[in-house]
Amino acid sequence: MATETRIDSPKRSRFEIRDNIWKWIFLLPAVAIIVILLAIPVLWTLYAAFTDLHLYRIGIDTKFVGLANFEKLLSNRSFWRTARNTVVFMLGVVPTQLFIGLTIALALNNITRGQKLFRTWFLMPLMVSPVVVSFIVGRMLFQEDIGPINEILRDLGFQGIPWLTSPTWAMVALMVIDVWQWSSFMILMLLAALQGVPPDLHEAARVDGANQLQAFWSITVPLIMPITMTALLIRIIDAFKVVDIIMVLTGGGPGQATESVTLAIYRTGVKGGDLAFGSSQAYFLLLVLMIFGGAYLVLTRRAMGKD
Amino acid sequence: MGLSAQKRLRSIVSYSILILWSFVLLFPMYWVVITSFKNAIDMSIKATYLPFVDFQPGLHAWRYLFVDRLTWFLDPFMNSVVIAFISSTIALAIGSSAGYALARFDYGGRNNSIVLGFMSQRMFPGALFILAFLVMFRELGLLDTRAALIIVYSSGAIPFIVWVMRDFFEGLPVEIEESAMIDGANRLGVLFRIAMPLAAPGLVAVFVLSLIGAWNEYLVALTLTFREAITIPLFMTMQVSQTGYTEWWNMSAISLISVIPVVAAGMALEKYITSGLTFGALKG
Repeated sequence: MATETRIDSPKRSRFEIRDNIWKWIFLLPAVAIIVILLAIPVLWTLYAAFTDLHLYRIGIDTKFVGLANFEKLLSNRSFWRTARNTVVFMLGVVPTQLFIGLTIALALNNITRGQKLFRTWFLMPLMVSPVVVSFIVGRMLFQEDIGPINEILRDLGFQGIPWLTSPTWAMVALMVIDVWQWSSFMILMLLAALQGVPPDLHEAARVDGANQLQAFWSITVPLIMPITMTALLIRIIDAFKVVDIIMVLTGGGPGQATESVTLAIYRTGVKGGDLAFGSSQAYFLLLVLMIFGGAYLVLTRRAMGKD
Repeated sequence: MGLSAQKRLRSIVSYSILILWSFVLLFPMYWVVITSFKNAIDMSIKATYLPFVDFQPGLHAWRYLFVDRLTWFLDPFMNSVVIAFISSTIALAIGSSAGYALARFDYGGRNNSIVLGFMSQRMFPGALFILAFLVMFRELGLLDTRAALIIVYSSGAIPFIVWVMRDFFEGLPVEIEESAMIDGANRLGVLFRIAMPLAAPGLVAVFVLSLIGAWNEYLVALTLTFREAITIPLFMTMQVSQTGYTEWWNMSAISLISVIPVVAAGMALEKYITSGLTFGALKG
């Protein structure tokens, strides 16, 4: 009996019957917590999106309004502005992080002495609170009159940049902060990918007459592609959800120039109390993420299958 | 150019790039450190870069925090400590035993789907939760309490822990556990005396990562707390909105106090943290 179970699934134990209770005791708490704190909010928010629920009128005369919130959403220019800001932010930070991540990971993969030291130091930004980075560091460094960045620019003969008062530059400042903080994630992922490439494959290509660039392009790139694609997806989703650095550096301003979708949801639902409209915005964001994530996975799988 | 010359050139270029990026990462941190030793005057006329050269460093910000106004930031600091530790401990206990169960038991062949169900949480934007949490915790009378944040943060960390730990446990040899059970140990004993110690590196990594997550979280804390249970990040931003004027040297000192413990822990456990961070993606 025992040998049979082991042939079927060598990792599983043969004490199936005695374990029948433990099996559930170990798993159920986690399931229960996730169901309560994931499923209920998700379903409640879906419900709220189809009503006229307001924070200060909960339980009083709540009406179903059908798709009214979503109609309001689609015709709401201010919401589209925040959607546009979010996409611009994502398009600004993710490719930059990929570029920096790949450059640094290649450099790290190239050296032997001190590699661990650099790797440890590059972990630092991921540990620092986004609030500290954005609020303390960002506001001090990007200060327009006496901040060090503008001082250095002026010393070099340029003009100071209106970091937080110009709509464009405020967005750039936020991107700089995100790139500072999250490039490390790309670095660590891509380094792990590069270290999975067998060095002799590369050598073999070189012996066969390929130059450095050809060997990189034909051997390394295809091999690191799967991890790169996953890392990109994670960063894209996170960039779509951006909120805290915006809240503390610009508050969404000047005007609405840097307000993200998540910040808009916070403003509408928590600050303004309009739970219904906020919920419909949250579902819009979820829908975009799901469509985008799904399409991304299908397309990358297909592209890599063809290679 | 010979092959060795080419190699040397490549390593010179590599080190230059790495040192350059290290400085980019260092500069903001350096700025916070020197600012915590600055006086108002050092920040009002022009930027000052070097202590003793273009400004005279002083300990007044640190004295202000630790002597004059200790209680002022001690409350939020203790909130952060308590919330982060309790929520991570709960998440670790619940998440790792579920991870163990999913590695060792068969749930009608649906183990992978269960794990994916846990991970689907990663996809959901935080914005989808804050409105429901606000109403939920208001109805429960838990707004502005540590309990609210502990509940949210532990539930937030569980899926990640289940995911990482399941794989970790799967990588451990099952034979040791079996022989212990032949000797009469029960599952609970096996989990705590054998599996958990063997999985210690993984447990440390997920614990520290969820600790850092709770320590740095902002959006939920902003939604659910406002006075008694505020955490350090919230406390710092509140200092400005109230006055419109910021004592940057004090804020810098507080930032350092809040950043140093987690950065030190993360960097000391670099190997485990990196594997925890990159884990999921490397599998996929």
